[in-house]
Amino acid sequence: MSKDYSEVPYGTLDLLILKTLDTMGKLHGYAIARRIEQVSGDTLQLSQGSVHPALIRLEQEGWIRTDWGISETNRKVKFYSLTKAGRRQLRVAVANWEQATALVARFLEASS
Amino acid sequence: MTLRRAVAGVLALFRKRRLDQELEGEVLAHLELAERDAIAQGLSPEKARRAARLRFGAIEQIKEEHRDRRSFRWIENLLRDSRYGLASLVRDPGFAVVAIGVLALGIGANVAMFSLVDGALLKPLPFREPDRIVRVWHAPRPGSSNATSTLDFLDWKRLATLFEALSAEDGFSAALTGNDEPVRVSGKAVTADYFRVFATGARLGRTFTPEEDQPGAAPVVVLSYRAWRTYFGGDPGILRRRPILDGQAHQVIGVLPPGAFDRDEAEFWKPLVFTPEQRTRNYHWLTVYGRLHAGATLDQAREQMRAIRAALADVTSIYKREWTIDVERLARLLVGDNLRRSITIAFGAVALVLLIACANVANLLLAKGAARSKEMAIRTALGAGRGRLLGQLLTESLVLCLLGGAAGVAVASLLIRGAARFLSQSLPYTADVGLDLRTLAFAAAVALGVALLVGALPSFRNLPLALHRSVRGSSGAHIKVRRAIVIGEVAVSLVLVSGALLLFMSLFNLQQVETGIRTENVITMSVDLPLNAYPTPQRAALFYESAAERLAAAPGVAQAAITTHLPLQSIGSGEGLWVAGIDEAVNVRFKRVDPGYFATLGIPVLAGRGVTDRDRNGAPRVVVINQALAARLADVTGIRNPVGQRARLGCPYYVEKGVLVADVGIVGVIRGERIDAPGRPDPPVAYVPLAQVPHPKVRLIVRTQADPVSVVPAIREAIRQIDPNLPLGDVATMQEVRGRMLSGTSRPAWLIGAFAAVAVLLAALGLYGVLSHAVTQQRREIGIRMALGARSSDVLSHILRNALAMIMVGLVLGMLGVFALTRVMKSLLFQVSPLDPFALAVACVSMTLIGLLAGFIPASRAARVDPVTTLRDEG
Repeated sequence: MSKDYSEVPYGTLDLLILKTLDTMGKLHGYAIARRIEQVSGDTLQLSQGSVHPALIRLEQEGWIRTDWGISETNRKVKFYSLTKAGRRQLRVAVANWEQATALVARFLEASS
Repeated sequence: MTLRRAVAGVLALFRKRRLDQELEGEVLAHLELAERDAIAQGLSPEKARRAARLRFGAIEQIKEEHRDRRSFRWIENLLRDSRYGLASLVRDPGFAVVAIGVLALGIGANVAMFSLVDGALLKPLPFREPDRIVRVWHAPRPGSSNATSTLDFLDWKRLATLFEALSAEDGFSAALTGNDEPVRVSGKAVTADYFRVFATGARLGRTFTPEEDQPGAAPVVVLSYRAWRTYFGGDPGILRRRPILDGQAHQVIGVLPPGAFDRDEAEFWKPLVFTPEQRTRNYHWLTVYGRLHAGATLDQAREQMRAIRAALADVTSIYKREWTIDVERLARLLVGDNLRRSITIAFGAVALVLLIACANVANLLLAKGAARSKEMAIRTALGAGRGRLLGQLLTESLVLCLLGGAAGVAVASLLIRGAARFLSQSLPYTADVGLDLRTLAFAAAVALGVALLVGALPSFRNLPLALHRSVRGSSGAHIKVRRAIVIGEVAVSLVLVSGALLLFMSLFNLQQVETGIRTENVITMSVDLPLNAYPTPQRAALFYESAAERLAAAPGVAQAAITTHLPLQSIGSGEGLWVAGIDEAVNVRFKRVDPGYFATLGIPVLAGRGVTDRDRNGAPRVVVINQALAARLADVTGIRNPVGQRARLGCPYYVEKGVLVADVGIVGVIRGERIDAPGRPDPPVAYVPLAQVPHPKVRLIVRTQADPVSVVPAIREAIRQIDPNLPLGDVATMQEVRGRMLSGTSRPAWLIGAFAAVAVLLAALGLYGVLSHAVTQQRREIGIRMALGARSSDVLSHILRNALAMIMVGLVLGMLGVFALTRVMKSLLFQVSPLDPFALAVACVSMTLIGLLAGFIPASRAARVDPVTTLRDEG
């Protein structure tokens, strides 16, 4: 694996998508993928397509809502936005993430 | 997975097409947008498109993932694979017929066997709260049982508080007249509580009231459902009819519901009214059943019966002081140890047959799989995951096994119907054997299990481990697995074949057992004298005399005899025999015979004389004893020659239940005839002249000059001339009587023999399949060898050696199995060792021969290989 790129850590794509929608509001799939890449400063090795399977799952969980809209290329596409449950889920996921990273960080300090 | 997603997933199954279209649109839009951005960054349209696709990732893979995420992918796949599986079966009907046929045989036999096991051993008895139903009996020694006397029963009923109901029964058979021909019907005389014990009410009318078993009550009768249909055509006005049983009209008060009581031998139930003469303590004739109070345990009941025995000690005769009273659940008593063992072994054997059937189908699938490994490789190359391919193969075998299972249920239903008569004879009446929901559930479970077993192995094998190898085509691994399967089949078949051979040898030994009688050209039947026409022992004695005379004079008849018990039939009634000089009674079996008995059956008189015409009613009472009794007397008294000795012997009355202890003279000793089933020593028997101690139920024994069955009409005519109202029952040749006695051994032998035959056939089929496949694979090699100078015989022997190697390994493994089952088999065998070398040798040799025969067909095909064509075809 290249030093400059890292794969999306397992299970965090959901979190990244939720956070993106939280910050940016209503977005379509491509915009979500682009936004994640841009925020990561293009250090993240993300297949853009992989947001789509993640989106369907989040939608089925009821965390995001879809509305039909028109893309910049004049095509009918889905626009995604956070639901109330999604906002709640985001808070839980962020807390979990922070807890996990804090634990790992502590562990690494203690071992070094 | 949350509930919400599960619901969404199920909904997605139904919106599959729309969701796919939406996804398609999303992906296109995504790519367009990416392309637009790339162009904006200054790339040429060509490069922009490439870049967009690159950034997106593998499109098809993401679509797959999308489908996986949104729904239950496996259901979609299952449906698709099932369709594909069915289609591939239709494309290859030969394979389908063989595989489904083999599975149907295996599953069908198992389902039929399960319904038997379920009916006899697993299902609760068909009565309400069956665990509360118990039998109560006298146990003279631990493990033995004796009927109960009237007064003992009444005392138990009075003193025992743990029973909700306690009832006594006595069997009877009667002539039912008033319809057309007189027919003999069986029934039970029961005390009024009987149907409370079994918690069975009437379907029509009612069962007995407490007054109806009291003296002076009007005669009433309850019918089984079957009897109502058979004898009265299901007449809805049956409750107004008064059928005549043994000359007396009985008011029908009720008809039982269909079910358990229809399988009982009894068809009529009448109240058991104790006459003053029957109220004794020394005549044991009642079978006692009880229903425990809710909450009362078996141990409490046993404890109470022990206390009751102690309380009754003062009124108990000396010879019964040692007797205990035992209580046991009806469910445990109905299926004896022997039947339980036979059923278990047969179930085990049939499970082995299923195993072999599975092996064969797995083998067929492997052969098919070898041909399909290229298809699998291509699917893998196109992106199908290993799990997905495994799923597809398992689904295909599932389709196969479910079809096999469905056909198996049909086979099972045929088997059960075919065996109905034999089943009703061998199983207790409470056993309801048939296809019900439980059996169908079992069939489904077996089919699923078989699908896993049959499907898993070939599936793993068929999955290409390395793509390039399969695309080039290599089946070396297949052949190894298939050889292992055939070896297993040979081993299991050997176990079954040896088991069957041992059982047949055991049967042969039983048939060779000296019965002590001449059984050729002898026919027997039963006669019951109705008490209204033959109220006194004198009347009965007159009937016997004239019957014996007329029978002997009938055309085609050589000799005739009358007795209460057929030879080879165990004698239930036992009496005490006291010889001068000893206090203790010798327990003897009590059998009544007429003057013709010993001669008709060719039983030699060893000392003194047999029963003669002079031993009539009123003449001095005599008794003839068998060798076993003579030996017993010699043991107890030291008397070497019993002939001429005086003794006292309990002689039952004609009608009244009771015993007259009479002085008798021992006049002769006969060589023993076999009484019980073989394998047990002869019991001591006292033969008493029928004329001196008449009995209303007798058996006629007729030796004929030619085929005994042809003489039956003449015998009927002879009896009709004496009494036109007497029905003859139980017509059977002596050979049949003997067959019945051996049935405990002959049935398992035939059953397991049949299973073994199927197993051998399947194993041979498997062997044939593997060798013939190998020959096809090696055609080229064989061709080259022959081109290099190998002769046909070399090729033939090469293939056969190959077969022999598999068979030998199978036989060795099979022998290990036989050794492992020694203990189980031992209990079923009579005078045969479970490791009998002859049986094992025959089993091995025949397995080898059958195996070689199966190998010979492909071998000779290989030997005919023409090197030129082979090399040109495939070179």
